[in-house]
Amino acid sequence: MGLTASTPLVGQLVRLRARELDDEPRLHELFNDPELTQYLAIRYPLSHAAEKEYLEGASKSVSYERVDLSIVTLADDLLIGGIDFRNVSPEDRRAALGMAIADQAYWDRGYGTDALRVMCRFGFEQMNFHRIELDVYDTNPRARHVYEKVGFKHEGTKREGLYKFGRYIDIHIMGLLEGELLTG
Amino acid sequence: MALMERELIRERPLEGRLVRLRARDLADEPLLWKWINDPEVTQNLMARYPYSHAAETEWLKTQTAPGYGEAGLGIETLVEGRLIGNIGLHRASAEDRRATLGIMIGEGDFRDRGYGTDAMRTLCRFGFAMMNMRRIELDVLATNPRAFHVYEKVGFQLEGTRREALWKFGRWIDIHMMGLHEGELRWD
Repeated sequence: MGLTASTPLVGQLVRLRARELDDEPRLHELFNDPELTQYLAIRYPLSHAAEKEYLEGASKSVSYERVDLSIVTLADDLLIGGIDFRNVSPEDRRAALGMAIADQAYWDRGYGTDALRVMCRFGFEQMNFHRIELDVYDTNPRARHVYEKVGFKHEGTKREGLYKFGRYIDIHIMGLLEGELLTG
Repeated sequence: MALMERELIRERPLEGRLVRLRARDLADEPLLWKWINDPEVTQNLMARYPYSHAAETEWLKTQTAPGYGEAGLGIETLVEGRLIGNIGLHRASAEDRRATLGIMIGEGDFRDRGYGTDAMRTLCRFGFAMMNMRRIELDVLATNPRAFHVYEKVGFQLEGTRREALWKFGRWIDIHMMGLHEGELRWD
C-alpha cells in the first residue's frame, strides 16, 4: 500500500488518533442525531456527563484490550467519527470492530472505507489479529457495501435480532480474516 | 405450543419429561467445580483455564438468584433428583426480547440420552411463556456436531458461521450461530 512504517494510522483521506477530552462537544452533538443513531445500537439520549465519562476512559489508555480512536480528516483535521476494536480475545487473535462516520457531510465519499482499511490493517499488521468481525443492521445497506468492498464476508444473519422503530430488524454478521483485506 | 404443554407450564413451569430446572445454591459448588475442570466438558465450551474453588464460588454467587438479566439454572433429573448440568438464558435484551442460551451436561452418564434435549425444550418454553422472550440464540463450536443435532431437533435454525473465530487444540475452529423464535420450538 506504499505506507511507511511511521504512519500506520494514516490513510488517504483520514487519520486515526487517540480520543481527546475536548472531542466532547462535537461528539455529543453528532451522536445525538437520530439520522446517525438509527444505524447504531444507541437508543437513549446521551448526556454531556455520560459522553465526558466515556472520553475520560477512552482517552486514558489505548492498548491491546481496547483501541478506540477518533477519525479526523487529513485535509482540515476535522473530527468526523470514531472507530474501535472491542471484545478482543488474545487466544483467538480476534476482535469486534465498531465504526461510525458521524458527520453526514462525509457519508458516501470514501471516508468510511478509508478509515476501515486503516483500522483493519492496523489490527492485522500491528496487533497480530487473525480475525476482525462486526455486526451491521439490515436497514444500513450502505455500510454493508463498504464492509464488503474492504473484504468482509457475510457470514450469517441473526433473524430479527434487533427491535427499533416499531419493528424487528435482521442483524448481519460479517468477518474478515488475515489476508482478506482488499486495499482497493 | 400444544395444549398439553400449555397445561404443563401452568402447573410445573420448569419441569420437562426427564428433568426439572432449579436454582443453584452454594452447596452445589463442588459438583460445578468438578464439571468446569473436566476437559470432557470444557472441550466444547469457550473455557480454557483451570478454575479454583474460590473463582467458582465467586461466579456461583452471581447465579443464585435467577432473574431476567441472568437466568442460570441447574438441571436435575426427575427420577433421581440428581444435579447433572447447567443451563441458562444470559445477556437478555429487554428491547429486543432476546437472550443467549448456554447449556452443559456435566455428568457423562447422562449424555446422549435425551436429558439435554429435554432441558433445552423446558428452558426455551420458560423463556417464551414466562419471560416473554421472542428470540433465543446460541453459539455452538463446529467441532460439536452432537450438540448441533440436539439444537436442530429442538427447532433452532442455523443462521450463520463465524469462520475461524476460536483457537483451541492447535487449530482454528468455526463457530455456528443458531436462533429459535417464538412458535418454532419443537417437542417431537
